[in-house]
Amino acid sequence: MAEYPLAEVEDLYSYYSQMMDSVTDYAVIRLDGAGVVRSWHAGAQQLTEYAAEEIIGRPIAQFYTAEDVAIGLAESDLDAAAKAGRHQTEGWRVRKDGSHFWAAVVLTAVHDRDGASGYGMVVRDLSERREQALTLRSLEQMVNSIADYEVIRFDLDGFIRSWNQGAQTLTGYTADEVIGHQVSMFYTAEDARSDVLEREMAGAVRDGSLEVEGWRIRKDGTRFWANIVLSPIRDDEGDVAGYVKVARDLTERREQERLVQQQRDEILELSTPVIQVWDKVLILPLIGTLDSGRAARLTESLLERIAADQAEVVILDISGVPAIDSGVAQHLLETVAAARLMGTISILSGVRPDTAQSIVHLGIELGSLRSRTSLKDALQLALGLVRARNWTGDGARDGAGDVV
Amino acid sequence: MTTTTVVIGGESDLLRVRSTMREYARHAGLSLTATTKVVTAGSELTRNILRYATGGQGVASIEEAASGQRRGVRAVFADQGPGIADLDQAMCSGFSMAGGLGLGLPGSRRLVDEFAIDSAPGHGTRVAICQWDH
Amino acid sequence: MGPGMGPETLSDRVPIMRMGEDLLITLQGDLDDLTVESIERGVTSEVARMRACGALIDISGLDVVDSFVAGALGRLVQMIRLLGAEAAIVGIRPAVAITLVQLGVSLPGVTTALNAEQGMARLRRTRVNGNTGVRP
Repeated sequence: MAEYPLAEVEDLYSYYSQMMDSVTDYAVIRLDGAGVVRSWHAGAQQLTEYAAEEIIGRPIAQFYTAEDVAIGLAESDLDAAAKAGRHQTEGWRVRKDGSHFWAAVVLTAVHDRDGASGYGMVVRDLSERREQALTLRSLEQMVNSIADYEVIRFDLDGFIRSWNQGAQTLTGYTADEVIGHQVSMFYTAEDARSDVLEREMAGAVRDGSLEVEGWRIRKDGTRFWANIVLSPIRDDEGDVAGYVKVARDLTERREQERLVQQQRDEILELSTPVIQVWDKVLILPLIGTLDSGRAARLTESLLERIAADQAEVVILDISGVPAIDSGVAQHLLETVAAARLMGTISILSGVRPDTAQSIVHLGIELGSLRSRTSLKDALQLALGLVRARNWTGDGARDGAGDVV
Repeated sequence: MTTTTVVIGGESDLLRVRSTMREYARHAGLSLTATTKVVTAGSELTRNILRYATGGQGVASIEEAASGQRRGVRAVFADQGPGIADLDQAMCSGFSMAGGLGLGLPGSRRLVDEFAIDSAPGHGTRVAICQWDH
Repeated sequence: MGPGMGPETLSDRVPIMRMGEDLLITLQGDLDDLTVESIERGVTSEVARMRACGALIDISGLDVVDSFVAGALGRLVQMIRLLGAEAAIVGIRPAVAITLVQLGVSLPGVTTALNAEQGMARLRRTRVNGNTGVRP
């Protein structure tokens, strides 16, 4: 060991003490060869709550838990450091007030000028981190045990970071086969090629979470209808660090819904037959609410019937339609216009007082569309029109100047 | 999934676009009405290229589309023409054409399930349409 | 083509047939600019030459009618009327009718009918009512 001039040593020591005082996250403690505390500083006090005069001269076993003292852990830690020169360990330690903290400890065997051995000990409080680690581990175990839901994590770039039992059951893939792969690997080819994933991630960030349903592909290539909830994971700064995805297989439910809808549609179709009431006169009684899809189908079938039956007049009976909104009116007008292109005159029947009000208030222009309150009146008009058309006497011209 | 590309340069290409779209629509199982509508929209968009694009040059790419249980036809019409200065106006219903006025874009949009347009002066025009079987 | 009906075919795709005092023009396939032009020339010259009373434009053979074709039809009707004859468009298919309506094409003031027979009857009625131009 080199010899140092005394003045220099004192400077070094003063520098060293000041440095030590400024270290408050760690405890840096000097022990003598018997493991007795010989130095102290602010950081050590902060960590263990002992003041210098309370602890200098006490053995380090002071910091160990009763159970650990009973098994002689302090002695074996010192022994390990003496033999290997350095010993790193983690464990519970005890503060002055008896509270426990999880510590990371590094024991280093040192030699001072006299050759006597001693130890340097650096202690760090890992309680919070350990708590986090435990929470994380227990959460992961919890998540992994969920068998009927897929709960996985993927990062900002869409790479899968965690897997669970439910995900395996759902998709057929094991963790090894998916971790590190893109989450879009389960998408249909169509979706994978488009920017569906980016949009879903953006939507989740924007709204806090995103729920979607869509087709996904299993390992064996079969499809399933998934209900998916995406939530962003944020770090301490509040920035998005990744996403959690929870998914369920709803194929069966979707299939049932589809069947129910189909049956409903079929019933509705059956309940709105096009009726041929007279030669060249058709009636289409509209019943129930008309959504876009149904209205379009009704228009198609009516026009096809017009072509098939060579109808000259068609009566659209709306007495069974509860409310006329602009959507329904739009479809009606389109049907009338299309029928007109095919040479057929349309008459609206079953117009109620409130319907008349709605139509005018909606600002819908019916133009030359004829309209009657009752089906009977509409039929009378229809027959008159047909007769007039086939009569080569005084012709009738309708309001638009079109030849009847 | 195959894609058929039709280079648009003359009237005869219009016929090719229509017959190609018809074929894809048939293959996707579209109804007669849905087919008529999407082929008509394609015809409108092709005529736009012939009429307004620089040198009447453009490209139509037609392919089958699939999403879940649905099947359909997707077509993209692109040209390097002058581009549309006021897209909002061109897409406004009042500008729908009846044989001459405007570009017939609002009308075409009404005919199809999906419609997307990108256009700017000096950047040409790109219109993508898609029609599903249900 | 039978007696009284002359084959006035412009091209294989646009046959114009004479039926008594009227003309029956059948459009088929896909129409391009050139075809439309030749149709206009052919029809107008025939209407004038025959002093036809009416012209039926049968488009039942068209499975796609876009705004260009619809515009051409409208203009054709106007030309025929200017020549003193009445015109009607017949045979618009259901799918085409729906498409035209949604496209925003309505062909206002144009007589339409389901088929040539009905169209002919309409034209005759119009004639009887004296609603066309002067025709001795």
